[in-house]
Amino acid sequence: MPWWACYLTLGLLVLPLAALARVFGPLTRTLWKLVLPFAVPILLIQGFFWGEGEVLFTLGPLSFYRAGLIFAAASIGRIAMLGGCFLLLSMTTRVDMLMRALVERGLPSQALYLVVTTLQLVPRFQAQAHRIQDAQRARGLETEGSIGRRARALVPLIGPLLLASLMDVEERALALEARGFSHRGPRTSLVTLHDSSSQRWLRIGLWTLAAALVLFRLFAWIRR
Amino acid sequence: MIEVEAVTFTYAGEASPALQQLDLKIGEGELWAVLGPTGAGKSTLCSLLAGFIPHFYRGALSGTVRVAGVDVPGSSLAVMSEHVGSVFQNPFNQVTGARYTVREEIGFGLENLGVPQPEMFDRIEHSLALTGLSELAERSPYALSGGQQQRLAIASILALRPRLMILDEPTSQLDPAGTGQVFTLLRALVSAGETTVLVAEQRLEWIARVADRCLVLQAGRKVSEGTPSEVLSSPELTAWGLCETRFSRAARASAAAGVTTLRHQLPHTLDQAVEYFQ
Repeated sequence: MPWWACYLTLGLLVLPLAALARVFGPLTRTLWKLVLPFAVPILLIQGFFWGEGEVLFTLGPLSFYRAGLIFAAASIGRIAMLGGCFLLLSMTTRVDMLMRALVERGLPSQALYLVVTTLQLVPRFQAQAHRIQDAQRARGLETEGSIGRRARALVPLIGPLLLASLMDVEERALALEARGFSHRGPRTSLVTLHDSSSQRWLRIGLWTLAAALVLFRLFAWIRR
Repeated sequence: MIEVEAVTFTYAGEASPALQQLDLKIGEGELWAVLGPTGAGKSTLCSLLAGFIPHFYRGALSGTVRVAGVDVPGSSLAVMSEHVGSVFQNPFNQVTGARYTVREEIGFGLENLGVPQPEMFDRIEHSLALTGLSELAERSPYALSGGQQQRLAIASILALRPRLMILDEPTSQLDPAGTGQVFTLLRALVSAGETTVLVAEQRLEWIARVADRCLVLQAGRKVSEGTPSEVLSSPELTAWGLCETRFSRAARASAAAGVTTLRHQLPHTLDQAVEYFQ
């Protein structure tokens, strides 16, 4: 794929779709934060250490190469495109709805629960960690200040956090059982997934496109 | 509703039984409180009636346990969940984490039981209205206070229309406001004929206000049974490991000081105290 194709996909497909879904602002902000930590080192390393070809500029003993810049741009473009697609999906699609659709297509409902609860683990852990840290702070442990001090405060947090989470498992399991989690027989859904004919046609189109791309690459590989 | 005959249960790996020769009969549409000190067997009794014993907690069980006409040891947890609803101590742990709004959280159990969608909507609205959560229906369950989360746990169980609702110290992690919300709700549910309630509790003043009957356990044995007034006025109350309410302590103190004479029925609620001292 040429280096500019990723940017083209991002500019002509991902960003307009994000604008259409009214998530342009949050998506670009998050994408910027996501890509920047990769982009800067890639650009510096590839640009200055490529070692051959046309030199764009020199900085003291270091030369910045054109080929390195193109390679870095291609790498950053791929990261941006992948990140953009993922962010667009996560910002416009509720995970439980996505999983519900998969369950309707044969995925076990227990798998749905596992995936969705795993994604919601973070706020639970955060709340638990805050409770433990509050208790530790009340007993004189310093949890704020320099990075070193904060890092040291994490060590006594890990043990109680893991133990408390394990102890909660039993009550959580019972609470689920009380709500028929292991009930056998057909399950129903509170949420109705709307699947319009245009969505169905789009899906067929995407499947066809994906199959065509695979075949195209396969033929290209055979002819080589 | 509940028939327990000569039940003895010993947890696997334990030497002494958690429940011993327990007999109990509870009628439909009553609010029962199970009282007793820590280790008396309250939680074990709750687990037994919900079917968690012997299906989740293993051990040696003897005797007969029937709830809503269902033989508990002979029925799976899935079957028991159709008849008995359980609410636990920690409201945070009862949020499934698999749903994004209060409304969907209540629907979780209904989905598992395969309740048709139109009926689901009705049941959810009814549960929301009963528990006073209608205005919070579109909020995240994690954005609720402890008392609201416990009401959500109750609403989630209520939607399943259990014939018996068991609550194991549901207010132990709640503040006074949250505690009041839960007890007021339980009384309202029983008075409206929605369900039968059995609640294991330590807060005697609230029990005196809302319960129809009390069962006192000590070291796994039944030591008393009666109305809240009968049980809480018993001279053996402290010997059972329970503390008197502040109102009955005040009545004893005033009698000891010669201000009033000590009557058989001591006050246990504010209303009773007002009447008693007048």
